[in-house]
Amino acid sequence: MSNYNEPNKTGRFGQFGGMYVSETLMPLLIELDQAYSKIKKDKNFQKELKDLFNNYVGRPSPLFHAANISKYLNGPKVYFKRDELNHTGAHKINNCLGQILLAKKMGKTRIIAETGAGQHGVATATVCALFGLECHIYMGSKDIIRQKPNVFRMKLLGANIIPVESGSKSLKDAMNEALRDWIKNVRDTFYIIGSTAGPHPYPKMVRDFQSIIGIEARAQILVQEKKLPDFLIACVGGGSNAMGLFYPFLNDKKVSIIGVEAAGKGAKTNETAATMTSGTPGILHGSYSYVLQDSDGQIKEAHSISAGLDYPGVGPEHSHLKKSQRAKYFGITDKEALKAFQLCSKLEGIIPALEPSHALAYLFKAFKNKHKNKVVILNLCGRGDKDLFTAAKELGFDTDE
Amino acid sequence: MNNLDKLPSKNILSLFMTCGFPSLSQSRKVFQTIQNNQPHIIEFGLPFSDPMADGLVIQEANKLALKKGLSTNQSINLIKSISKNKGDTSYVIMCYINTVIKYGVSQFIKSIKGTVDGMIIVDLPFEEEKDIREQLENNGIYLIKLISPMTDSNRAKRLLHKSKGFIYYISSTGITGSNKLNHKEINQNIKIIKKHSSIPVLVGFGIKSKNDVDSLSKKTLTDGVIIGSALIQMYFDLKMNFSNYLKSLDKFIKNLKIN
Repeated sequence: MSNYNEPNKTGRFGQFGGMYVSETLMPLLIELDQAYSKIKKDKNFQKELKDLFNNYVGRPSPLFHAANISKYLNGPKVYFKRDELNHTGAHKINNCLGQILLAKKMGKTRIIAETGAGQHGVATATVCALFGLECHIYMGSKDIIRQKPNVFRMKLLGANIIPVESGSKSLKDAMNEALRDWIKNVRDTFYIIGSTAGPHPYPKMVRDFQSIIGIEARAQILVQEKKLPDFLIACVGGGSNAMGLFYPFLNDKKVSIIGVEAAGKGAKTNETAATMTSGTPGILHGSYSYVLQDSDGQIKEAHSISAGLDYPGVGPEHSHLKKSQRAKYFGITDKEALKAFQLCSKLEGIIPALEPSHALAYLFKAFKNKHKNKVVILNLCGRGDKDLFTAAKELGFDTDE
Repeated sequence: MNNLDKLPSKNILSLFMTCGFPSLSQSRKVFQTIQNNQPHIIEFGLPFSDPMADGLVIQEANKLALKKGLSTNQSINLIKSISKNKGDTSYVIMCYINTVIKYGVSQFIKSIKGTVDGMIIVDLPFEEEKDIREQLENNGIYLIKLISPMTDSNRAKRLLHKSKGFIYYISSTGITGSNKLNHKEINQNIKIIKKHSSIPVLVGFGIKSKNDVDSLSKKTLTDGVIIGSALIQMYFDLKMNFSNYLKSLDKFIKNLKIN
């Protein structure tokens, strides 16, 4: 890979990506692509976004040397990119701020979004409160139960939560319903997609807004270590936190890139969300990428303990990075993630979300007593507050006491 | 010979039904009932797990069919078995792109060639269609163009260049089965379409009754109508009594055909 320059004008990352939506949405997607290309170069927009990043989100997020985990591993020197310290508790806010500024520029008055773990929903509700826009969040009814604290947060922020009862009642179905809403209300509505998934230009746009993570991490590691890292590790559901970290390093060929998917009860079982390990290329939610599907192309239900990774698709750019072998992808089971969730809490005093717990579990599994003198940056993209009830239940702790 | 080339110029009736609904064996009877009435076009919907452009009724039909394990091959065989009485009726498959991609585009075309006259692929827009359209046309099958109220005149011109069969005008922004008909807007947009194409324009989405059909023919320049969700809704309204459903469906279609 010489100078990385994906996607092309039609939204292709290699063979993946594209715009597979009904004609009703096409004119708007083309308009969105044009508006985004224009605004990207607009200095006022960049200034406004930077000011919000610094003073509303609390950027730059620190790059923390996790000395205790490094010692425990007896392997590489581990750094956490601490996007869990952001306002709203995860990386999702980075993208929401970018998109809502764009929505305002395009004169849209109504915001919709899908959410799985609730982190993107909370971030969307937050920016809607900040800018005074009407906000509707689609959320699978299964996720509403397992992410109660975030549901209450969104309500406090003034969002309307729409429970989705179709299919597996989780992220995929929430996205179907949000797309249906968008087709109906295309004239006044802006759809803030939370991941690097969906039709072009979303995968590119979300990646660009999230790439602040990697831009900061790259500058910070050069100060702290005087060299680039040897490894990047991030969890991948749709893939936005991972693309945010990876993208600014794609031309640094000596940096190894590792994406960690949720393998649920095991990548070879039917209860998995490890799309790139267990899936095949297909089209879901507007783009061509790896998906979990049967031999007739019917999309399978995903399974993961982590609502944020519980998605049978993945962003097209990850499929391209896998295919071109620029990045490697591995699966981590629910059990392994839960163990890492506890270990990180005990060792570093940081309770991670279940999503980055998958990245941590891979670190514990693959780097123990290995890769000495190497440097790893792991994206700690969310904090664990929202997962306390889920984790307590799994670990047999009665939270009612 | 493609039956779509023999469509009349006015009062075209196109009926949509999901394959495998409510079950494979019952579906055969449903399609036979539709075929016996000889509509100009039958649209065979291939069920998909994630039908993002469809409303609740067609979603439910898809779910029922898939729950019973309906495969793409079974749908294609169903269409072929009905086609024995095809006559002048045009057969059109309506589906989502993943079904075709997963089956293999050339394999799919090979298996429907000679039976199916046209395809409507809901989530395959102009920007992505070239390869599939060419393969279809090389095998005598037309890729039907969808035009929505969001499509402006310039875009319509590009989309409709060399279009064949008929044009599917989506009556308003929204998903299947859900819309109120705005005759004025529909008529304005049909006028734009007719500037760029001479093949028939059919209006679909949200047409529920004989009344809707009559008022559309009277108040707009439409050349025909497409009815789908309403035909499926009837089954649920009749509390899923299948023999009553067949009778009502037959009666409903016969009534539509009275001018």
